Amino acid sequence: MPKINLSGVEKNYGGNAANAVADLDLEIGDGEFMCLLGPSGCGKTTTLRMIAGLENLSAGEITVGPRVVDSIAQGVFVPPEKRQMGLVFQSYALWPHLTIERNIDFGLRLRNMPPSDREARVTSVMKTLGIEKYRARYPSQLSGGQQQRVALARMLAVNPEVLLLDEPLSNLDAALRLEMRAELKRLHQEFKTTIVFVTHDQWEAMTLATTIAVMSDGRLQQVGTPNDIYDRPANLFVARFVGNPPINIVELGQENSVLSQNANRFLSPHGGELGAASAIALRPEAIRIARQGDDVPAGVLSGGAQVTGILPTGGSWIIELTCGAEKLFLITHQPPDAEVGEAITYWAKPKALHVFDAAGNRLDAADRLLRPERKLNS
Amino acid sequence: MTLEQGATGLDRPARGRLHRLRYRLKIILREPTTIIGVLAAALFAYLIIVPILSLLVDAVQVQFGDERRIKQDVGAFTSYYLERVFSSRISHDMFWEPLRNTLTVAFGAIVLSMLVGGTLAWLLSRSDMFGRRWFATALIVPYMLPAWTFALAWTTLFKNRTVGGQSGWMESLGFTPPDWLSYGQVPVIIILALHYSPFVILLFGNALRRFDSQLEDSARILGASRLTVTRKIILPLMRPALMSAMVLIFAKCLGEFGVPYVLGLPVDFDVLATSLYRNIASRQSGVGAVLAGAIMLIGIITITIDARLMKEARRFVTVGSKGSMNRLSPLGLWRMPATLFAALMFLFSVGLPIATLFLSTVMKVPAQFTFDNFTLDYWIGTDLKTVALTTGILLSPELWNAAWNSLTIVGTASIVSGLLGLLVGYVVARTPVRPLATFLRQVTFLPYLVPGIAFATAYLSLFAVPRGPIPALYGTTLILVLALIADQMPYASRAGISAMMQLGKEPEEAAQVAGAGWLRRMMLIVVPIQKGSLTTGILLPFISGIKGLSLFVVLAVPSTDVLTTYSLRLVDYNYTQAANAVVLIIAALAYFGALLGQKLTRTNLAEGLGS
Ligand SMILES: Nc1ncnc2c1ncn2[C@@H]1O[C@H](COP(=O)(O)OP(=O)(O)OP(=O)(O)O)[C@@H](O)[C@H]1O
Ligand SMILES: [Mg+2]
Repeated sequence: MPKINLSGVEKNYGGNAANAVADLDLEIGDGEFMCLLGPSGCGKTTTLRMIAGLENLSAGEITVGPRVVDSIAQGVFVPPEKRQMGLVFQSYALWPHLTIERNIDFGLRLRNMPPSDREARVTSVMKTLGIEKYRARYPSQLSGGQQQRVALARMLAVNPEVLLLDEPLSNLDAALRLEMRAELKRLHQEFKTTIVFVTHDQWEAMTLATTIAVMSDGRLQQVGTPNDIYDRPANLFVARFVGNPPINIVELGQENSVLSQNANRFLSPHGGELGAASAIALRPEAIRIARQGDDVPAGVLSGGAQVTGILPTGGSWIIELTCGAEKLFLITHQPPDAEVGEAITYWAKPKALHVFDAAGNRLDAADRLLRPERKLNS
Repeated sequence: MTLEQGATGLDRPARGRLHRLRYRLKIILREPTTIIGVLAAALFAYLIIVPILSLLVDAVQVQFGDERRIKQDVGAFTSYYLERVFSSRISHDMFWEPLRNTLTVAFGAIVLSMLVGGTLAWLLSRSDMFGRRWFATALIVPYMLPAWTFALAWTTLFKNRTVGGQSGWMESLGFTPPDWLSYGQVPVIIILALHYSPFVILLFGNALRRFDSQLEDSARILGASRLTVTRKIILPLMRPALMSAMVLIFAKCLGEFGVPYVLGLPVDFDVLATSLYRNIASRQSGVGAVLAGAIMLIGIITITIDARLMKEARRFVTVGSKGSMNRLSPLGLWRMPATLFAALMFLFSVGLPIATLFLSTVMKVPAQFTFDNFTLDYWIGTDLKTVALTTGILLSPELWNAAWNSLTIVGTASIVSGLLGLLVGYVVARTPVRPLATFLRQVTFLPYLVPGIAFATAYLSLFAVPRGPIPALYGTTLILVLALIADQMPYASRAGISAMMQLGKEPEEAAQVAGAGWLRRMMLIVVPIQKGSLTTGILLPFISGIKGLSLFVVLAVPSTDVLTTYSLRLVDYNYTQAANAVVLIIAALAYFGALLGQKLTRTNLAEGLGS
C-alpha cells in the first residue's frame, strides 16, 4: 500500500491571484487517516484535487508509493483515471442519469469485472452503507444523507488504495453526521485504506484522524496527531483555530494589562531561557479558580479576577472572568464553585502553558522548562 | 525538488520555465479537448469569418462580368459598387428608398407591437384576466408560424386587380380594396407587428413577473400616487426589457424578406432585403455585396446596442430578489372586455390567417360559401386544368421532393449544429487554453449579428466559384446545410455552453477518478446527462429552419427547393391555393415540432424561440 508524498507543491490558479497552495511538503503514511483542517479558502480542496490529478501543479512533485505521479521537473503527469484513487466530492457529484446501482457499479464495469462478481460486490457495499433499498432509484430521489452514502459506496466499490474525501459530512444533520463519522472510522479500520479527509470542522478532525494537517492561507501550519495539535500547537494560528471555546491568549510585556503582568511575573524567574517569549496561551479547561488565595497551589500562574458570567452548556459550564479590561474563558465539568460578581483567584499549572515567540511560533525552550515530564520530539 | 545547475548551460529560472512549459504542453495535449477545440475553431473560422470577409472584399473588387463596364480587370480594387449603391442615379431606388421603407416598417412594427404586446403582457402577468394560462401559450403561437403565412393570408383576403391570378375575397364579395390596404407598407407593418408581438409578451412579461410588488408598495406607503409609481418606479425598471424587445424586433425586421416580398412586389415597395434579393437574382454580385454589407452593418450596430442594454438589464436583476412577490391587479368591470381583447388578438394573429389559408385551399371561387364551391382538388385532385401544376398539391412530386429536402437539409443542419454546440460548450467549459474558449464563444456568436439574407449572400460570394481544393458549391444541398449550420451556431453554442456550465465539471471528474478515459466519459456521462438540452438544441434550430426563408431564397436552386422556396415559387406563378397549402404544411410542421419539443423536454420552447 502506498505512501503519498507531496514535496514543494504549489498551485496558482493564474491571473494575479496569490498562490492557492504554497510550498507544501506533506507525507501521508500508508493506512493513515489524514485530516486536512483549516478555515474556508485555505486550499484544502485544491490540495486534494492535486493529489487526485484533477488540478495541475504550478511547482513541485507528488509521488504515490514508488511512482512519481506528478512532477514539473520530470515532466510527468499521470491522469486521474490512471491514479487508482477514490474521491468523494463535496457536492457528491452523483450521475443524475444513472440509477444508484449503476452509479455504484460504474467503476467495476470499467474494470471489466464479470457481472456476477459485480453484483455481489455492489450488494455487499450497499449493505455496509445501508442503501440497498434504493438500488433502483435515481440520485434525485434520495435525501442528502443517502446521496452522500451512495457517493461513498461508489468509491468503496472499487476498493481504492487511497480514498480522498472532501467535506463529505458537511451537508448532513447532526445525528446523521455522528453516525457517518462512526461509519467512516469503521471502514478505515476494516479496509485499511489510506484516507485523506478534508474538513473545516475541528471536532470532526479530532475524532476521526490519525494525523491532522492544519492549513492556513495555502500554507501548512502543523502536522501531527490530534493530541499533538491540541496539546502542542505549533504556532498561534493553530492554537487559535483548534479548541472550543477558543484558547486564551495573553501577550507579554503589556504595561497596562493585569493578565500580562501576572504572566510576566510567573515567567520572570526563567527570564534567561524564555527571553524570546512574546505571548502565552491557556486552554479554557486548564484554568482553575479558587475562592481563597490559600487554595492556590505554589508555583503556578495565578492572579485575581472577577466572575462576570456563567454559561451552563449542559454537563459543563463556561465561566467568563474579567481582569481589568480583559477577559478569560474557562470551562469546567463540575458545578462552578463561585457566583457572578464574586472576586476570585484564577490559576493554571505551568505545564498547561503554551509559550510563543514574537513570530507566533511555539517556543520549545518553554516546553523543556515547563513540561519536563513530556516526551519532546523536536 | 532542487534543480542542478550548469550541465545544460541554462540558468535556473530559465530551466524552471522550460520545465513548466513542457509540463503544460503535456497537460494540454493529454486530452482531445484542446485539439477538438482547435479543429472546431478552424471550422468556424472557415464557415463564418471567411464568408463574411469574402463578401466585404467582393464589395470593393471588380466582379466577373463587370470588367467592361468598369474598365478594369476582374479582382481589381474599385469603388464602383459603393458609388453605385450610395450615390448614383439608381441609388435612390436601390438603397435610400428601401432603407427608408425598412426603417418605417421597422418602427411601425415596433410601435404597434409594443402597444398590443405590452398590453397583453401586462394582462397576462399582472391582472386577473380570465384564461391567463391558456392565453400565455396561445398568444405566442404567431411567432411559431412563418411570418409570411400572414402575408399570404392577407393577400388571399385583400388582393385586388393590380395582380393577376385568383382574386381576393374582398374583391369577390364586391368591393375592391385600395392598393394601400392590399399591398405595401400598411399590411407589412401590421403583419410584422402581429408576428413579433410575442417577443414583447415574453420579454416584457418576464420583467413584469420578476418585478417585486413590494417596491410598488413601499412607494405607495411613502405617499406616491398610482401614476407617480408607474412613472417613477415601474417604467424605469422595465425600460431595459422594453428597449431590448424593441431592438430585437428592429434587427429581425431588418432581415425580414418573405413578407415584404409577397406584399411589396405588386406596388414596387422595396425594403433592403428585397432590394438585395433583386440584385442577387439579376447577378449583380458586387452591388449585392455592398447592400449585404450595409444590412450587416446596421445589424451589428443594433445588436451592439442590445448587448449594452442587456448589461444594464443584468444590473436590475437583483430587483426581483428572493422575497419577490407579485400581486395581481383586479380588473373589475374591465375583466370581460380585457379577456375579449386577448381573444380577439388571438383570432387576428392565429385563427383568422390559418382559417383563411385553409378555406382558400378548399374553395373553387374565393369567398363563395356554397356547398358545391368546396373542393379537395387543390390537395388531392388529378387532371386539373392549370398549366404547370395539374394535380393536387399532395400528389405533386415537387412537393414531396421539397418536403424531403426541407427535412433532410434542415434536419442534418440542426443535428450537426446541436452536436457542435454541445462540443463548443464542452471545450469552452473545459479547455485549459482560455483564449481558445474565448475565440470559440465569440466566433459562434458572430452570425447572430448578421441578418440571414446578408449571411446567405456571403456564402454565395465564397462558394459560387471553386476556391482552392473546394469546388463551387452553389446549387448543391451542401451549401444550404453549411449555411444553416453557421446561421444556427449562435443558438446552438449558447445552449451548449450554458448546459455545460450548469452541469459543472464534477460529474465528469467523478467518472475520471473512477477510471474512465475521455471517450468513455463523453459516451457514458456527458452526452447522456445533456440529452435534454441536446434535444432542445436540435429541435429549436429545426423549427426555425423549417420556416426560414431568407437563407434559402438566396442559396437554393430549383433542384434543391425546400418547402419555403417552393411555396414562394408557387406565389410567383400565382398558384395561390397550392402556395397556401404548402404554407399550411410548413406552419403545421413548425407548430407540432414545437409542441413535440415541449413534450419531450418539458420546457416552454416558445421562450427559447424568442432568442
Ligand atoms: N478554479 C479556481 N480558480 C481560481 N481560484 C480558485 C479556484 N479554485 C479555488 N480557488 C482559490 O484558491 C483558494 C483555495 O481554494 P480551496 O477550494 O482549495 O479552499 P478550501 O480550503 O477547500 O475552502 P472551503 O473550506 O471553503 O471548501 C481560494 O482562495 C479560492 O478562491
Ligand atoms: Mg473546499
